[in-house]
Amino acid sequence: MSWRGELNKYLASAYKNWLIAKRNVFTLFELFFWPMISLLSIGLLTRFLQVGPDMVSFLLVGAIALTILQVAQIDVAYVLLFDMWSKSIKNTFIAPVESYHLVFGALVFGIVRGSFVFAILAVVSRYLFGFDFLAGGPLMVAIFLSGVFAVAAVIGMTVCISILTFGQKADVAAWSLSGLILLVSGIYYPVDVLPYALQVVAKAIPLTYFLEYYRSAYIPGSYNLALGATLAAAYLILGLILLQISIERARRTGILLRLSE
Amino acid sequence: MDVPAIEAQGLCKSYKSFRRPRSVVLKDISLKIEPGEIFGLLGPNGSGKTTLISIFSTLIYPDRGRLKVLGLDSRKSRDAIRKVINISTAKPNFPWSLTVRENLRHYAMLYGMYGPELSRAVADVMDAFALEEYRDVTFEDLSTGLKQRLALAKAMLNRPKLLFLDEPTTGLDPEMANKTRQLVRSIHEDGISVVLSTHYMPEAEVLCDRIAFLRKGVVVALDTPQNLKGHLRLGERVVIVYEGPADLSRLKEDPGIMSVKSEPGRAEFVVDKSSESLDRIVKQFSKARIKDIAVKEPDLEDVFLELAR
Repeated sequence: MSWRGELNKYLASAYKNWLIAKRNVFTLFELFFWPMISLLSIGLLTRFLQVGPDMVSFLLVGAIALTILQVAQIDVAYVLLFDMWSKSIKNTFIAPVESYHLVFGALVFGIVRGSFVFAILAVVSRYLFGFDFLAGGPLMVAIFLSGVFAVAAVIGMTVCISILTFGQKADVAAWSLSGLILLVSGIYYPVDVLPYALQVVAKAIPLTYFLEYYRSAYIPGSYNLALGATLAAAYLILGLILLQISIERARRTGILLRLSE
Repeated sequence: MDVPAIEAQGLCKSYKSFRRPRSVVLKDISLKIEPGEIFGLLGPNGSGKTTLISIFSTLIYPDRGRLKVLGLDSRKSRDAIRKVINISTAKPNFPWSLTVRENLRHYAMLYGMYGPELSRAVADVMDAFALEEYRDVTFEDLSTGLKQRLALAKAMLNRPKLLFLDEPTTGLDPEMANKTRQLVRSIHEDGISVVLSTHYMPEAEVLCDRIAFLRKGVVVALDTPQNLKGHLRLGERVVIVYEGPADLSRLKEDPGIMSVKSEPGRAEFVVDKSSESLDRIVKQFSKARIKDIAVKEPDLEDVFLELAR
């Protein structure tokens, strides 16, 4: 097969997600309403608490990271969730596609949406709170967003694995996994304040390192970007392997048929 | 040389549930489907038809047994198999908010099509299944018949050599079901092997070259529709509606008459050949007034009822 044919296998998921999103008025909530609520509530909280510029940057970086993560991870999860909700999963899995086609295709759309949300929040935060999200330069922004998108892909794949393993009820995982990330990866507070056991968990989450790296543009401090990138790559590979295993298992157990009924 | 469309040996499948005991769905299925055949899988609900079609199409895997699809080993060459087969499922479902054309484009992309080839494939199937005027209608707004047509169109996108149709006329009105059967025939005329599951006997009778009857996960009969009717010695049915006395006791011992059922004013006989037995039967009604005589050849409905017992 030519590279264009192979590319189209990836883009099929992005195409489907885009079409579904453009016909769904509630997409506006995902792209504007919730991100703005998140940014405004945290921004206004910093004013109310009269915190210094360091703390403002700490909290707003956390808010924007969480928002982009949620937008992008749900796009990856949608690749299976839409098929499950419309009971059309058989049509996808009868085609000669692999798990990586589906995941990376959906992630492409997640990256587009996530970048769009970032751009909006960057503009709004500059005018409303005087905070410049681009202070670290475009390369830093690109690296930070890459880390967020990698973690989003891993969470999205985890949701897909849950659905293929436990069936339809597992879609609740789609809405709760990013909550776990919120708790342990230093979104709104440094991981040092966590109990020791949770600090260990935080150190295993790549987003922790990407947040430290991005925050270093505003609050000087150490960071270990290499470890974050290594963890992100390892989780992506592991996620793809586990997703492929869960698809094969769903074919063996017949869950794939039940998800279509 | 043409390879068989399907070669299955000893396929077994069971489903395990968390709370319920393992349920066995298919037991030791072995069959061979020739290239270019329309092969029917018949059986009552729960007999394992959908599971068997799903295994043949590599959608799910058997617990045991060997399967070759178009000469390709189903364990080693799943990707190669998926490129040359396709399926239209029993309840056609697609992403709701995508239009006919968008759904077809999306699935064509999953098959690695691009550029003019993709546009041509989508246009060809929309034309073949008369979907052009509905191209911009979303799936959720299509009628049941159009959804079925979209499912068939999607199944033809990659020009498969082997097509699986799982109950393609279920839920359709008679006119639409008939149109769907014509579409299946035209697909077959293009040289595509078809494996079709149904529980509509007349459909299997008019469409299929051979039929496998499934009952509780076992193939209980496999032959042409004509041979199945012959081998089971179902015979013809002679139904007489009459008034007055009739002595049917002698007919019960007649070697050409396989069974006699009677109730006041109505008698039903199953005979080997009505041309040979009808005269002897009618003689027993000499003192009665015959109001109606009907002779009915056995159909697959009779075969089905016989085998489903």
